[in-house]
Amino acid sequence: MGTFRLAWRNIWRHKRRTGITLAALSLALVFTVLYGSMMEGYMVNMEQGALDFDIGGAQVFAPGYQDKPSIHTRMADAADIVQRLEQQGIPAAARLLASGLVASGEASAGAQLRGIDLARDTRVLSINTQLKEGRWLDGADPRGVVLGVKLARVLGVKLGDELVVLSQATDGSIANELFTVRGVLLSVGEATDRSGVFLTDQAFRELMSFDGGAHQVVVKRPVEMPLPVLAQRVMAAAPARDVQTWRQLNPILATMMDSVRGMMAFIFFIVNIATAIVILNAMLMAVFERIKEFGILKALGAGATDVLKLIYAESLLQVVLAVGVALVVGTPALWYLSVYGVDMGALAGVSAMGLAMVSNWHAVVSVPGILTPFLIMLVVVSVAVLYPALKAALIQPVKAIHHT
Amino acid sequence: MKTQMAVSRLLAVVTTLLLSWSTAPAQAMDPTLAEILRIQDESARGSSSVGTMTMRIKTAQWERTLTLKTWSQGTNKTLVRIEAPAKEKGTATLKVDGDIWNYLPKVDRTIKVPGSMMSASWMGSHFSNDDLVRESRFTDHFTCQFLQKADPAAGRHHHVVECTPRPTAPVVWGKVQLRVRAEDKLADQVTYYDEKGALVRTMTFSGFDVVGGRKMARRMQLTVADRPNELTEIHYDEITFDVKHPEQTFTLQALKR
Repeated sequence: MGTFRLAWRNIWRHKRRTGITLAALSLALVFTVLYGSMMEGYMVNMEQGALDFDIGGAQVFAPGYQDKPSIHTRMADAADIVQRLEQQGIPAAARLLASGLVASGEASAGAQLRGIDLARDTRVLSINTQLKEGRWLDGADPRGVVLGVKLARVLGVKLGDELVVLSQATDGSIANELFTVRGVLLSVGEATDRSGVFLTDQAFRELMSFDGGAHQVVVKRPVEMPLPVLAQRVMAAAPARDVQTWRQLNPILATMMDSVRGMMAFIFFIVNIATAIVILNAMLMAVFERIKEFGILKALGAGATDVLKLIYAESLLQVVLAVGVALVVGTPALWYLSVYGVDMGALAGVSAMGLAMVSNWHAVVSVPGILTPFLIMLVVVSVAVLYPALKAALIQPVKAIHHT
Repeated sequence: MKTQMAVSRLLAVVTTLLLSWSTAPAQAMDPTLAEILRIQDESARGSSSVGTMTMRIKTAQWERTLTLKTWSQGTNKTLVRIEAPAKEKGTATLKVDGDIWNYLPKVDRTIKVPGSMMSASWMGSHFSNDDLVRESRFTDHFTCQFLQKADPAAGRHHHVVECTPRPTAPVVWGKVQLRVRAEDKLADQVTYYDEKGALVRTMTFSGFDVVGGRKMARRMQLTVADRPNELTEIHYDEITFDVKHPEQTFTLQALKR
């Protein structure tokens, strides 16, 4: 305990220098924690925007469907796959897919028809909450459809407008029906925005003379389940099917997330290098000033390890103080950013690279998000201080006492 | 001095060669080849017609037969209406120049086919909407040559002609090969290849007969290379040429009838 008391006194011998060091350390800590939490929030948003609304954690198709989508490439046992996944606590829902032509008045456009299992789909994807106007599908309104935002714009349709859907039924006959626009989605992803037409699975089956099975099973990743584990479970539940995780379904997003992580690590690295230089400089100064003092200490019988301990104690105390300051300054800021966030203003709802921006950018606080910068700083400081500490510890008393 | 002379001589040779090449097609077009191409273009173009045809479509999953009534004027105006099966009776397609409209009697609406859907199937057949719209002429858009000349004495009753599209031609194919009957210069097989030279589709013509005053193939079969065991077959049950169509035949009103 004596070492720490001595160290405590030592660090306050140069109040200004210690103050500056503390300021640098705590600033670095506050910055890394806030920046890290904001980036985490950004990524969670991105993931949520793309995955919760549009893609899910993974998807299952009949082999070959992805390369050459056809209404005939179906999974007859889609309901069993869904059930097997649900039994393991993995939410899943089957979807029916077909391409077709939609028209309203003079305008027409190509569309992807998506027949939705109303009871299950909302447990997997929350696209039903992403409505720009109108309402989500309802079994009581089988002629009501929900459109992607760009498709609605191209067709020039408003809520309640009539929509002609034309496609080819499974028996080769011409599938055509009149529907009513029941809802228009917010931007959720390029493909859905541009061509998504959602209808109830019942309406889909009638329109397309489609009997059993489904074309796609969308799967939600339970929060605590890592993606590779999910992929394994899904593959086990859907043997010999084409299972794709969101990373394969949206490689752009995956790459973007990876590069954001990489950039974060790089910035942390730079900040920590700067921190290391600050503390190295301060401690080196502190050692040089006290060469005579260390010489006397050693002459009085103090060993090299005692001196080493002393220098480390001084550094550790400064880190602890910096952490304290960082907590005092950083906590309210972190609290504000995680509760109120940053208003994205005009950028909200803008779809970039197939992904929709959220209206409010929140920080996401996590234990590793806070602890990691602290631990990294501890390691960095320990390494940086090694040189001044060794210099002090290995001082030869006679030389030191004559040092001017 | 010597090299200079050699160069100028070489230039002269090259110039002559280039000149002769550039004028070659017009001069050297084999009269038989020219006639073959003219006949193909004319039989495709017709003048104006009214007809009834049966279209049989067979895919891996289903097979169906449609009875169609057709009206055409030149290549730029066509109206096709489904007569049978009863469920789809009245469904019609109108093509005027580059545009296509479909009339759907069940919902009583007319839909214009958007550009993005032009490559989609027409009425569930192996023909695309584009096939209806796109117009190319062998004489104008292709450079053709004989791969094989018919020689009945040697037992070869067909000409084989290969045509590659000219750079500016509105053609999606890399090349088109025609197998032409020597007797009447009508093609009984046309094969279409993509830019990489892979076979895309084959049209086979049969049942050559004098119909409506001209010799033509009554039966036309289309197969697509990447869908074996599938085909679309069209049989002209009856056709009358050189019909004078009323003004309003090729209008959206007539489409609905």
